[in-house]
Amino acid sequence: MNAPLIELEHVGVAFSAQRRVGSGKFWALEDVSMSLRQGERLGVIGRNGAGKSTLLRVLAGILRPDRGQIRRGRVSCQLLSLALGFTPYLSGRDNAILSGLMIGLRQRDIVARLPAIKEFSELGDFFEQPIASYSSGMVMRLGFSVAIQAEPDVLLIDEVLAVGDAEFQEKSGAALRERMRQGHTVVLVSHDETQVSALCDRLLWIEHGRSVREGPRDEVFAAYHEELVHPDGAT
Amino acid sequence: MPQHLLELILFSTYAELRAERSRSYLGLIWWVAEPAMMMAAFWLVFDVILKTSGPGYLPFLLVGLTVWQWMKSCITHGGYAIWTNLGLIRQARLPVLVFPFVQMLADTIKFLFIFALLLVILWGIGYPPNLSYLALPVVFSVTLLFAAGVGFLVAAIVPLIPDLRFVIEQVLTVVMFLSGVVFALDSVPSPLREVIALNPVATLLDATRGILMHAQWPDWPALLKVCIISAIVFAIGIGVVRQLAPRYPKLAV
Repeated sequence: MNAPLIELEHVGVAFSAQRRVGSGKFWALEDVSMSLRQGERLGVIGRNGAGKSTLLRVLAGILRPDRGQIRRGRVSCQLLSLALGFTPYLSGRDNAILSGLMIGLRQRDIVARLPAIKEFSELGDFFEQPIASYSSGMVMRLGFSVAIQAEPDVLLIDEVLAVGDAEFQEKSGAALRERMRQGHTVVLVSHDETQVSALCDRLLWIEHGRSVREGPRDEVFAAYHEELVHPDGAT
Repeated sequence: MPQHLLELILFSTYAELRAERSRSYLGLIWWVAEPAMMMAAFWLVFDVILKTSGPGYLPFLLVGLTVWQWMKSCITHGGYAIWTNLGLIRQARLPVLVFPFVQMLADTIKFLFIFALLLVILWGIGYPPNLSYLALPVVFSVTLLFAAGVGFLVAAIVPLIPDLRFVIEQVLTVVMFLSGVVFALDSVPSPLREVIALNPVATLLDATRGILMHAQWPDWPALLKVCIISAIVFAIGIGVVRQLAPRYPKLAV
């Protein structure tokens, strides 16, 4: 087995409860351990507020752990973010370039992909118009078309598998599944269990900021369902 | 600096200027019209109504306000940049210094436009170009270094204590009056005048006015002193931003 790309050991992340002098902390992540290897497609499951999104932001390098260890090889991790840095008064084209730069692409690479972005987003002549004149669906289409261009070593996805109307949802979902099948390393957070089981081969289950179990998909799912049925769990 | 970051900074600056242009009907005209209206207001009050100042007041005021507005926008726009971009900082892994830097670069480009116009006006009213113009790049570099240093320092703290914004505007107004932007410090009584003269902004304005209005080379030792102060402020500003950077993604937007 190859060496892990990222390894977390007893990682915790604390936030200030509110913007008040002397307010307390709360630990969004208490104690999470996991490892991610090249080519793995890891699904993160758990109830609302379990800390799934916080974990993704730690993996992305946005949040620094307040305790515990994170070991990261020389890999780029990118959170798939729609409409990152979009500015209302700029044209679709300029926003695509700006957003592309923010997700770590070089300017010449984005410019080369502009025709593909325009094509995929189905914006037509609106591509040259300020996005302030777009409908929210159009903004999301452009956002997705740019975001899918990111080429990190590890792609982190937080519940944004499909956007827009039914037709575009189909298309964007397909594009993303295609990306995942190309052998990229992916971490996926989703509430949609069918999606997770279709796309991931390993699962990490976290609850109240703690990692409960990590392992092959079916094994973790079985344990997770057991817990959902018998919340007090005879574990 | 990685080339990718440089591209991000340059394109963001372009985007910032471009967006600003599209936000209003008159667009670019406001770059010049806004400071011009402000100068007209001060000129009306201090020259026409109060008659506080003798000949040469108009160029004195024009130069003072042009440079001061540049410094002020670097401090406020740059100073609020991390705070206004917290939403982005929560989602993307970007060096936070990029945000104030972009604002300051955009403001500096605007300043250069306004300054070019100012030169034309000065030549028109009898202050021709002279050899001491050669010192302008030095004076402006120190000015930017000082403004950027203060701007980074403000940028570092405002996200943690957004309430500071209400104080900063007022402090800057006081500093403007105490730096000889709108009236000459000669009219201030003696002990106080020496204290005010320690203010780096006053030294920088003196140097700029000397060059543009009196063909005078800057007071190099004084400028060196300001340069050292600016470098220290700048280093502290960058240092504090870097120190606090891990906390920004955790702040509520």
